[in-house]
Amino acid sequence: MKNFLTFFWALALTASLSATTLISVPVERLTQVSTHVLEGRSQSTWSAWNQQHSMIYTYTRFAVGNALKGQAPATVIVKQLGGTVGHTQQRVAGVRYWRPGEEAVLFLRPAEERDGTMVVTGMVQGNFLVSRSAGGVTVTNGSPGTMAYNPAQHQVTEFHGSQMTLAELEARVQKAVRQ
Amino acid sequence: MKRKLLVISTPLLVLMLGLVAVRPAQSFLPAVEVSGNTVNPDHWATTPVTWRLNPTLSAKVNMSQANARAVIQDSFFTWDGAPNTGPSLDVQGLDSSDTDPTTTLVNLICFVCSNGLNFSSGEGVLAVAVTTVDTSTGVISQGGIFFNPTPTSGVCFVILTSSSTCPVGSDLPQDLQTVATHEIGHFFGLDHSSVVRAVMFPFAPSIQTDLSFDDVAGISSLYPKPAQDVPTGTIQGTVKLNNTGVFGAHVFADSTTAANPYFAVGFVSIRKSPIGTLTLPDGTYSITGVPLDSYIVSAEPLNDPMRSANVGWAGSFGKTIDTGFTTRSH
Repeated sequence: MKNFLTFFWALALTASLSATTLISVPVERLTQVSTHVLEGRSQSTWSAWNQQHSMIYTYTRFAVGNALKGQAPATVIVKQLGGTVGHTQQRVAGVRYWRPGEEAVLFLRPAEERDGTMVVTGMVQGNFLVSRSAGGVTVTNGSPGTMAYNPAQHQVTEFHGSQMTLAELEARVQKAVRQ
Repeated sequence: MKRKLLVISTPLLVLMLGLVAVRPAQSFLPAVEVSGNTVNPDHWATTPVTWRLNPTLSAKVNMSQANARAVIQDSFFTWDGAPNTGPSLDVQGLDSSDTDPTTTLVNLICFVCSNGLNFSSGEGVLAVAVTTVDTSTGVISQGGIFFNPTPTSGVCFVILTSSSTCPVGSDLPQDLQTVATHEIGHFFGLDHSSVVRAVMFPFAPSIQTDLSFDDVAGISSLYPKPAQDVPTGTIQGTVKLNNTGVFGAHVFADSTTAANPYFAVGFVSIRKSPIGTLTLPDGTYSITGVPLDSYIVSAEPLNDPMRSANVGWAGSFGKTIDTGFTTRSH
């Protein structure tokens, strides 16, 4: 790693150069700018062109298990940028798609197209994947290939996201809703 | 701990006039589509590529429309005018009044477009790039670069000088051309490079708008010029660990001299750097676009600060990158 280490000092003053660039937003802020915060399980997913055949969206139907903010329908359809239709793939870094059966805590708001779907606030930031193990239930919202710029520290790093217990995330959301 | 033996096979420095491509170009690093044994680098197949700029600026872009247009034009020309590149890479820019990427996504760059992108004020997304690729051929059909007009506070875009400021004092000025040049490298089909001095390295100094040797090797491998400005060759070999090919090792060729052959023929802004690539699943590598010179070839694990997550290599091949070895040079 000599080649890298020679220049490692420079990273403290670097700028983020990624196909998608985020500024990390805390759970409390995500809660404020979302109309809904829902816990759910992915049931099915599909991708399709929009009507104008200019953009591909990936849709995922979630069965809602718990609403931490907002009125909870039994199911919601979440729309994300990008996806694959046939041999055509539209790529957008900073988006994490779900496989059927995955559990997630979702920070959502209605799509501006008013087509009945919802979109994730802050791209991957509002998409916490739930992992269950003998050690407990944890959530994380990291995504490969996405960079985060921290203006306060003047630093750029890969966006690893946050990892915490589901109970902690629920408590932080509920506290933010009450404020 | 058992010491692992890493072997870099004797590189074959192919000193031939003209670009030698014995396999799909893998260097520096193109995004690739993998189907069976076929590896297709992402690339535009038609020329010229027409990009369209909506010159309307958000409050986060602290310059005139004319300057913003010039910055984007210069960023495209940096790649279009690279040595050993073209004529299959030719670009032209137009102004556009389009504001709706859901109807006019094709090659649109804008600072205020949001329809269909679902940007929201304060959600922490600065910019998004969208690329559409045929996964069976690697042919790119459209792309777009969209800035969130109302991101959360933190940065603004400027033409960076020592006196640059943002309208909001707490924001930090960021050089637009540095960002645009990097993003346009993606637009043309390049993935992140592991070479620190490359424009396509995912982290950059405050201002870095001139291409490096690594960037030139990358763009000219995707869009080669039949009559090269500077003759180049190919370095090939295999990285093995315990007699098994290492996947995803960063292999780079570093010149042992001070020569800059691009400068010598008038490309005065090309910065000397190593030229790198990642190894294929069988451990082989092929670094194309290497100017005639003397080189040390090194292999290092892709573990920090550039990591597997920063490139699409592992995902394209459906394999985990090998990092359980130490750097070796040859």
